[in-house]
Amino acid sequence: MGLPLSPNASLLTGSDSLEVEMEIYVLVKQVPDPEAIVKVKSDSELEIENKYFTNFFDEIAIEAGLKLREKFGGKVTVLTVDNKKVDALRRGIAMGADDAIQITDPALEGSDQFAIAKALAAYLKDKPFDLILAGRQAMDDDAGIVGPAVAEVLGIPHVNTIIGLEVDDPKKEVRVMREVESGKEILSCSLPALFTCQKGLNNPRIPQVMNVMKAMKTQMKKVDLAALGLSAVDVGGQAVKIKVQKYLPPPKRPPVKMIKEDFPDNVKTLVKLLKEEAKVI
Amino acid sequence: MSNEIWVFAEQREGKVRKVTFELLSAGAEFSKMSNQAVGAVLLGNGLQEAVKSLTPFADKIYLMDDPALASYTSDAYLIQMAPLIKEHQPSVLLGGTTSTGKDLFPRLSMHLQTGYAPDCTDLRMEENGKLVAKRPLYGGKVFAEMAFSEARPQMATVRNNTFLVNEHLKKSAQVISISSHTDPAVLKKKIVGLEKSAGTKLDITEAEIVVAAGRGIKAPENFKIMEELADVLNASVGTTRATVDEGWRDLKDQIGKSGKNISAKLYMAFGISGAIHHILGIGTCKTVVAVDTDPNALIFNYADYGIVGDLFQIVPALTEALKKALAADN
Repeated sequence: MGLPLSPNASLLTGSDSLEVEMEIYVLVKQVPDPEAIVKVKSDSELEIENKYFTNFFDEIAIEAGLKLREKFGGKVTVLTVDNKKVDALRRGIAMGADDAIQITDPALEGSDQFAIAKALAAYLKDKPFDLILAGRQAMDDDAGIVGPAVAEVLGIPHVNTIIGLEVDDPKKEVRVMREVESGKEILSCSLPALFTCQKGLNNPRIPQVMNVMKAMKTQMKKVDLAALGLSAVDVGGQAVKIKVQKYLPPPKRPPVKMIKEDFPDNVKTLVKLLKEEAKVI
Repeated sequence: MSNEIWVFAEQREGKVRKVTFELLSAGAEFSKMSNQAVGAVLLGNGLQEAVKSLTPFADKIYLMDDPALASYTSDAYLIQMAPLIKEHQPSVLLGGTTSTGKDLFPRLSMHLQTGYAPDCTDLRMEENGKLVAKRPLYGGKVFAEMAFSEARPQMATVRNNTFLVNEHLKKSAQVISISSHTDPAVLKKKIVGLEKSAGTKLDITEAEIVVAAGRGIKAPENFKIMEELADVLNASVGTTRATVDEGWRDLKDQIGKSGKNISAKLYMAFGISGAIHHILGIGTCKTVVAVDTDPNALIFNYADYGIVGDLFQIVPALTEALKKALAADN
């Protein structure tokens, strides 16, 4: 899997050399599986089935990082903010990431996406990164805030929902493709940068059993707020810019009206219902 | 602090997108309650037509016409918008849940240190001017009403087709031109190409009517009957994860959890069994029609109208029946 890194390798970097190594960080999160049952328990509480997986789009981001490392050498570090769930980090290690960092602190409870982004950026700001990758959005809050917000705090460019990535110069410049409503846009972007990854960029590898075992034993490096130079007021409930006022069940559709006539009468009836009852055509 | 409701007026190639008019219409309703002016913030290059189209929908248009803004990049737009917002301090800033909105708003809100509710499916304003944003979580398995802290503006992106365009607004916006000179040298990214999608159909997130087929269509070439149905309804053609994974259809047309959420006025699903991934993407569609050969298909639990039948029989017949029905209207 990953090549052993020479500690002095970064001294050898040159813009036209393939020996350049890329320092890549991937932001990951453990989220409820799409099949997990999520229900409203009360205005302020959800009931979430204990069925979690690594956010689908984050695996695409990990894969993108690993592919770049295979090509240019370097290091892939997975990074999460979570006080309990570290399986996304384990997944990263099992897939082949070199290192895993857990930002954890009791004061982080109740943080919104902006506070999470602050914590991640605080960790990353002194690191010699070339590229930060994240999923398009986490499949829990479905917000898509953290990636661009981290880029904003770090003062680096970001491009959302990329479906293509070509490295022109691993220390300076890449081209990315992203989907827009009218087609696919190709952007050139200077490095360091942050990209959020969309389905279509790659097919994440399935970790080998040996690597899964290794990941189970890997000790995650824990980092707390003090180590990041942040205090409790920067994050957690006190810092929230937006919060849930009330949880609601999804809007319910009235029972289905089955059109039971034989063909072609059923088609005629459908057209009539769409016109006269639903009034949508 | 000013007391304005702002809408980020999104345009491509000088044409303002429909979601902008939807949001300006919603803004006009909010302004009645809270007595605030409605402002459209328009960035781009060569915007005469765009200004004209916005004029009846807003009280003010903040206009930045600059070659560096011709195509959207977050760099260039943020450099221009952030100072304008800081100067005028609107109470609300709305945008569409579009590729641009989803790229710009999170970054802009972090920059402004203010709250942002993404991909909302409803908004309401309370009498004190506080915005309450409703948005789906966990792919739409639950919804949440979000409240904002005291920071302003209260920012939200809103799904296409959430609000109706009020064609009766007869405002006459005052145009406030802001001289903007973006130094291209400070921009860290630039657009170097655009592969335009074939055809002229709207993106499935924007279309009022979406017709979709899944694996039940059996082969990629069979989507031709879906295209023909779509043409009659001025609809766009969506699909499921299965056909995208097979390589039959482009990812941009995938509805559902790993694809796109749609809020169409009418959604018709053919040969789609109704996997949870797909269902989550259509939760906010107004009327849902399902046609499938399997009477026990899950999709029927999430539809308003259902027909147990063969799409190869139903779709062409429906196309013909709609042609006649719609021709009778004109």
